[in-house]
Amino acid sequence: MLGRRGWIGLGTIAALLVLWFVLTTATGWVSAARFPSPAEFWASLWQVSVRGYAGGQLLTHALHSLKLVAMGFAVAIITGVPLGLWMGWSRKAEAAINPVFLIIRPIPPLAWIPLAILWLGLGDAAKIMVIWFSAFVPSVINSFAGVRNIDRPLIEAARMLGTPHGRLVTEVIAPAASPMIFTGLRLSLQAAWTTLVAAELVGALVGIGFILNMAQQDLYPGMILVGMVVVGLLGWATTWLLGLAEKRALAWNVAARD
Amino acid sequence: MGSIRFDKVDKVFGPNTGGVKVLDNINLEIGEREFVAIVGPSGCGKTTCLRMAAGFEAPSAGLVSVSGRPVTAPGPDRAVVFQQFALFPWKTVRQNIELGLRNKKLPTGERADLVAGALKLMNLEGHAEAFPHQLSGGMQQRVAIARAYVLDPEVLLMDEPFGALDAQTRVVMQEELVRLARVNPRTVLFITHAVEEAVYLADRVAVMTRRPCRIKEVLDIRKIRQAENWDKHARIEDVMDLESFVHLRTQIWKSLREEKVANVV
Repeated sequence: MLGRRGWIGLGTIAALLVLWFVLTTATGWVSAARFPSPAEFWASLWQVSVRGYAGGQLLTHALHSLKLVAMGFAVAIITGVPLGLWMGWSRKAEAAINPVFLIIRPIPPLAWIPLAILWLGLGDAAKIMVIWFSAFVPSVINSFAGVRNIDRPLIEAARMLGTPHGRLVTEVIAPAASPMIFTGLRLSLQAAWTTLVAAELVGALVGIGFILNMAQQDLYPGMILVGMVVVGLLGWATTWLLGLAEKRALAWNVAARD
Repeated sequence: MGSIRFDKVDKVFGPNTGGVKVLDNINLEIGEREFVAIVGPSGCGKTTCLRMAAGFEAPSAGLVSVSGRPVTAPGPDRAVVFQQFALFPWKTVRQNIELGLRNKKLPTGERADLVAGALKLMNLEGHAEAFPHQLSGGMQQRVAIARAYVLDPEVLLMDEPFGALDAQTRVVMQEELVRLARVNPRTVLFITHAVEEAVYLADRVAVMTRRPCRIKEVLDIRKIRQAENWDKHARIEDVMDLESFVHLRTQIWKSLREEKVANVV
């Protein structure tokens, strides 16, 4: 089940946990005011999971954050992938859109937060918009590159076979670009989680970022660590799910590479 | 069944940036059910000729027409077999062969029959549900040929189709192609740099010069093949041993070699 490399990874995690215990609890070299001990972490986790913290239980916060990420990510895919494919396929589309894209791209997604709040208020819509913007860019760029890297004979073969335009996109261009598209999706998902926490730090009433924000104000290191670990685990779990989808969709490609 | 005609065709690459003339006044006519091979040094415009017939590129001057109609865009009436196979790796063998028929909007039952026929023709039965990466190079090229044949095209355009195959597989495919050509002759334009392959397969062989490429001479192989009865030999090596074959091969070889020497001097 777990390969050799999997065991090595688990070993590293175990060593870090031991180190954590030694530094905080066994020796007291790191004070509890700066970093929580395992016991404090456990107590904080227990508190937020059962009794609740920052206005809700952990599950409520986590589900809310997950929902925002899923929605922002979904909108980013729906808009970003087709745009990237189109820019990759049509030199005219690239010429028209790329200059704007090049200027907008260096703007950090977080710089959109003030504008998003101005437009959409402090609710979920503004956060989804910011997540969308951050996840949008990697999807566009990689879909674009995916189309540009398609072997020319593959397109020529499709045209020689008389493939109509719609079918060319769905049965040739999109599958040919799909390895790169999935690379983009993975980067987009990462960007979505990064942005989520930042967006929730600024203005939120529920969510993991809100837990972090409240814990900071409460000077509560245990709860801060809980928030961080939960984001890490959620990010890891969603990336793993995306990996499963990729494996299914690209079975032909995975097998071809082996 | 169609014909191909190159009429005073020039091709210049990058005409806006100085321009390199790769083809100079190409005139060639390939009749119905005739198999014509173009041989030439690598880097000469032989593949460009095929790409213009396919509609992937337009001539800079002159006219390329198939069955009397000027070529404007790629289409299933001119099926192409590529050197690198160009199969869709996410489609099974069956789906690869079937795509052109779906594009023609043939009904399902008819498609299934045609695909089955093409699989049988190329000895691919039992591999219909395989993906290309599961097949050897020779098998992949069989799929590509089946994908072209199943369209029942006016002309077949083969661009160094066996160039990427190992020597043994190549020989098998050459024999196979001769078998196909005798059973069901098609109009074929075949590009190769292998002189023996051209002599073995073609009715006529056009020899191309270096850049800017012209057609230097066209040799009639069919007459000699029929006179010397090459077809009674099933194996390529037996044909290649015949005096008439050796003579033709040497003649073309010398013609190509003169080309190289002339350019060096």
